[in-house]
Amino acid sequence: MSALAILLNFISIVVAGIFAGLLGSLTGLGGGTVLVPVLTLFYGIPIIFAVGASLISTIATSAGSASAYTKQRIANIKIGVGLEVATTTGAIIGTLTFAYVNANKMQWSIYVIFGSVLLFSLFPTIKKTLMEVPPDIPADWTTKLFQLTGSYFDAKLKKIVNYKGVRWWAGEIVMFFAGFISGLLGIGSGALKVMGMDWAMNLPMKVTTTTSNFMIGITAATGSSIYWRLGYIQPFLAAATAIGVVIGSYFGAKILVRISNGDIRWIFFGILSFLGVEMILRGLYLNHIISTPPLIQFAISLAVSAMMIGSSYIVVRMERRRIIHVR
Amino acid sequence: MSDEAEDRFDTIISWALKIGVVVSLCLIVAGTMIVFIHNGSNGFSLNTLSNMDSNTAVNSSEIHLLDIASGVASLSGMYIIALGLWVLIFTPISVVAISFVNFTYGKNRLYMFMSAIVLFNLFLAMIFIT
Repeated sequence: MSALAILLNFISIVVAGIFAGLLGSLTGLGGGTVLVPVLTLFYGIPIIFAVGASLISTIATSAGSASAYTKQRIANIKIGVGLEVATTTGAIIGTLTFAYVNANKMQWSIYVIFGSVLLFSLFPTIKKTLMEVPPDIPADWTTKLFQLTGSYFDAKLKKIVNYKGVRWWAGEIVMFFAGFISGLLGIGSGALKVMGMDWAMNLPMKVTTTTSNFMIGITAATGSSIYWRLGYIQPFLAAATAIGVVIGSYFGAKILVRISNGDIRWIFFGILSFLGVEMILRGLYLNHIISTPPLIQFAISLAVSAMMIGSSYIVVRMERRRIIHVR
Repeated sequence: MSDEAEDRFDTIISWALKIGVVVSLCLIVAGTMIVFIHNGSNGFSLNTLSNMDSNTAVNSSEIHLLDIASGVASLSGMYIIALGLWVLIFTPISVVAISFVNFTYGKNRLYMFMSAIVLFNLFLAMIFIT
């Protein structure tokens, strides 16, 4: 390949990184969720390098946008660090599992697990389009012991939101799995982190997504150190994706403070459901469980994701109308 | 902790993250430019460095942490990229370290202990596990 062709290839990977970083920080799910499918499906990059580059770039997505959120004091660093006890432990075990899968030539299973995790991340995301601030539930013994209270100024609601978290132990359990998935798939696993803080601990969505963004970097740093020694990081690729996601996440953070929670999830849902179905099909194809040619897989993924978005959109609209009607 | 102290803590963390990302990005961009200008690095051609084949590609296991300092001193593009990537890995670690100091300073024993466990896990991953 000529130097010019290599340069163009490098730039095109940077562009993929920008795209991934933008979506990753907008949702708090991290750039890797978009980056791994894009690199493997469209660039034909081996999954070990895609996962390696993705995980290390995820740190950049996280740090870039978390720097903006901590300054605005939306992210709760104390809660984040406390939950990192579980995510870093999970990340170590997840990374070692990824090494085992690679040593045993079972990479196809990573595609299938990746796609499934992606699709399952979407359900809690869709459900939450209906709510900005969580229902008020009474404090429990963990609220006081682990100091799970805080407040932030919501620019859209134009008021200070006071909140209190509950069920710290449930949050830790979910976070362990979030860390495990992060190490196994090279993603920030923000969806699971968001679920841990939102569903288990009842924290507001803005606090959840921004704290998750902050935590993703710490989890990813744990996994990346092990990946480095195992040789899963291709420096040339990681350089391109890191540059891309930093740019993408920078703009993502700027946009996030201006748009509502509901809007964010709809954009994300569409693209991710497509990538999720496509990853599952590719995994099954690689293991010869299905023999559908890639172009047909592409069409199937497009149709299935269109159906999923369409039906979810209708359900959410009906639910919204019902809520308004009840009021 | 007072509101003022908490504000200062958030500002320090925000700056640590910002500086980490900017320094790392500058190193990665500089390293990449040097690789392209020299048409390769460390005896590897540009073609070899950009090769993504899982069996033959140049990967991180060939770049030892202890060699990074001498590699950077000799302006090797690949080592400068490697340094940039390590600055990136150390950025969130520094935030946990700052939190540890902050919790110690604020006499928050519980969170001091928890941030110490997180730091322990991070160093365990970096040094002992392969």
